[in-house]
Amino acid sequence: MLLEVINLTKRFGGLTAVTDVSLSIAAGEIVGIFGPNGSGKTTLINLIAGILAPSAGRILWKTAEIQGRSPHTIAAAGVVKTFQNPQLFMELSIYDNVAIASHLQLRRRFGLNRVTELLPWPHASRHAEIATAIDRVITLCRLEAVRDRTAASLSYGQEKMLGVAMAMMCDPELLLLDEPASGLGEDEIRTLEEALRDLRDAGATLCVIDHKVDFLARIADRAIALQQGAMIAEGAPASVLRHPRVVEAYLGRQHDRA
Amino acid sequence: MLQLLVGQTLNGVIVGTLYGIIALGVTLTFGITGIVNFALGEFMMIGAYVTWYLFDVVGLPFPVAIWPAIAAAAACGFAADQLLFRFTRNNLINGLLVSIGLISIIEAAALLLWTTTPKDMGYVLSGAVRLGEVSIPKMKLVVFALLAAVMFLTYAALSRTWIGKAAYAFSQNPEAAMLMGVRTDILQSTVVVYSTALAGFGGALYATLYSLEPSMGGLYILKGVEAAILGGIGSLIGSLAGGIILGVTEAVGSIYLPGAFRDAYGLIFVVAILLYRPSGLFGAER
Amino acid sequence: MKALLWVPFIVVPAFIQSNFILSIFIFSFILAIAAVSFNLIFGFTGQLSMFHSAAFGIAAYVTSLTASIFHVSFWLALFPAIGLTVFISLVIGSICFNFQLRAFYFAVITLAFSELARLVILNWNNITNGTLGLMVLDKPFVWIPGAGLMKIDGMFGWYFFSLAALIFTVAVCSLVLRSWIGRCFAAIRLNEDLAQTLGIDTFRYKLLSFTLANTLAAISGSLYAFYTGYIEPNYLSINQSLDIISMVLLGGRSSIVGPIAGAFMLTGLPHMIELSAEARAILYGGVLIATILILPQGLIGTLASWRRAA
Repeated sequence: MLLEVINLTKRFGGLTAVTDVSLSIAAGEIVGIFGPNGSGKTTLINLIAGILAPSAGRILWKTAEIQGRSPHTIAAAGVVKTFQNPQLFMELSIYDNVAIASHLQLRRRFGLNRVTELLPWPHASRHAEIATAIDRVITLCRLEAVRDRTAASLSYGQEKMLGVAMAMMCDPELLLLDEPASGLGEDEIRTLEEALRDLRDAGATLCVIDHKVDFLARIADRAIALQQGAMIAEGAPASVLRHPRVVEAYLGRQHDRA
Repeated sequence: MLQLLVGQTLNGVIVGTLYGIIALGVTLTFGITGIVNFALGEFMMIGAYVTWYLFDVVGLPFPVAIWPAIAAAAACGFAADQLLFRFTRNNLINGLLVSIGLISIIEAAALLLWTTTPKDMGYVLSGAVRLGEVSIPKMKLVVFALLAAVMFLTYAALSRTWIGKAAYAFSQNPEAAMLMGVRTDILQSTVVVYSTALAGFGGALYATLYSLEPSMGGLYILKGVEAAILGGIGSLIGSLAGGIILGVTEAVGSIYLPGAFRDAYGLIFVVAILLYRPSGLFGAER
Repeated sequence: MKALLWVPFIVVPAFIQSNFILSIFIFSFILAIAAVSFNLIFGFTGQLSMFHSAAFGIAAYVTSLTASIFHVSFWLALFPAIGLTVFISLVIGSICFNFQLRAFYFAVITLAFSELARLVILNWNNITNGTLGLMVLDKPFVWIPGAGLMKIDGMFGWYFFSLAALIFTVAVCSLVLRSWIGRCFAAIRLNEDLAQTLGIDTFRYKLLSFTLANTLAAISGSLYAFYTGYIEPNYLSINQSLDIISMVLLGGRSSIVGPIAGAFMLTGLPHMIELSAEARAILYGGVLIATILILPQGLIGTLASWRRAA
């Protein structure tokens, strides 16, 4: 088990956002988490990524406890998340955005040697490796055309892809995606699915939260349903969607039109 | 020794209310316009000097002299708002730097008008009151009472009247308030002008107790900001409480530790509180 | 290449002999070091530090006192000054950055420490002579191939000495900002939360930026003390911090060299125009306000964006 969440609970004053959730994610899986608004999905992701500290419970990453650690430590450990509302470096170009995200890769590949980047004479070979990686990620996310434009000038769909690109650049072992498909058009969703499958084939594990149930059903190996902070069903996507408690939670609601 | 302690504490409380009125202006301005108006100390100075001029030089009775002084401070505040602060709403760094530029200008103008020679205003109310072993000048008690009264009135006005509720709503969610018909631009300008009027009022009262110099503004805005942070930016009661706590800390600290470092004690105390409770003593948990 | 831009400065003394003008250049160079280094933490990392003048002043005192009390050279005296600056920066930075306080509180706390430092120096009369200040009689010595050990005294010596120091500062900043460290600074400035989730230890890099900026300010302060021959507690005042901030804003905070232009303007112009102290203050306030409201990118920044748009 790569990630284990054990009896995780998060309270904000009087409100309990996540109640006693336990789940595990194995290497190479794509796990989908869905649930209506307020079901605690984003809070759960934020707890795993270190942005929030839990009120109770543990989170184990490769059997080491990570709950309450700082976000950058968790990212360095291999767990990277994307934001529901794309968080970008607005003033900078797409290329620069992804270049900043190469921080962890730079550290992993060169360690302390990267200090030589501070020397006045050129170090072309080292730059080339990372530059290639940046180009690859940009191409994978179909952003080559807008490479030199500022992040502020992108369309919403492109912003979301840039968010995914930056997360991918961190070379994550576990990628947590917070509603990556919301607001995207058909084509863009397809691009996203391809990028995500490529990632999984390259060895990453994915955990995707979304409203778009059909998108989740297509891409996930396993699905988890949340309602009001608690887990109500788990299993293969098709069976979870038919699970009586899930149907009850969504009674009267239609599948999100993509 | 106890007498000294009590005396100094009371002094600290009174000075603290002066800090508090500036702190109130700081907190109001920050809550509604998103900036810290560092020039509030200068508006306090304007109030002080105009009061001195009208009371000492022109000879008006104090309760009459005080009103043009407040008006002068408020008028300058209005001018500053329309010409400067209007363009730095919600931009903390720009607002800070613009207000610092304003300080240079106002202080230089004051130097030209009144020079560095300290001005001592004549007695408004002489005599002292004995509380046990301790003797307190009557004027200090009057100053304390007036400042505290104004601060409580402000608090009451903001929590009960429609304007107050609009202001509160605006500080929570500017867009929603605007959509509900609150004239946000008028609201923001009003708050800026009111905070400068408060500062002017504080200055008028300051003039009854201490001698005036053009540099007084710089000291008081620093204390005002410290008090506002201590009490929690956004809390009105916090500004009064913060001011008094700051004043008392400085006064009591000066008894046991070298007086030269008086200003430092308050600073250290504020930093310590800030680290323990980042939202200040009465501020909301963010 | 950009290095060519320095050439005019190197040849100036060949054409200008006036001590008055050379003195303006020297002051501008030394203060430009403070301005450029301030821009590291302010313009590039996005943190408003009010401690810069304190680093400037503390180092001025430590260097001068070490040199005069222990009879060592300027260079040796720099070590304790820089060491103390680094230590204080690490302490203050750890306090401020560890607690995830908002940017405004960083400004206030650094202001508090700056005032504290000034009060300590003001009142430690035995050593610092309080408000009366200290005379600095020593001068730095430099070993120049061919001429041997030369004392930096007099206009020409100081001109090239301070210019060399400025070039050194710009080179250091340039190397740092062009590296991954510079990218981390930009990330912190633009979106700190995002930077964290991308694996950047924002605490560490903010601390690095703050310490490096203060260290270069320490060099600036030490030079200033040895050049003017006199130091006083006002070196650590808020006004000094504001002067440096104004230089950066005026020159432009998005480039490394913008603050140099600001330093020249704010150092040179007041001497060129004969004004009373009050008139100068009014002008200074007016310029600050005008820069914020009309030219937010500063002079160099605005010129650069015109060039891009053309």
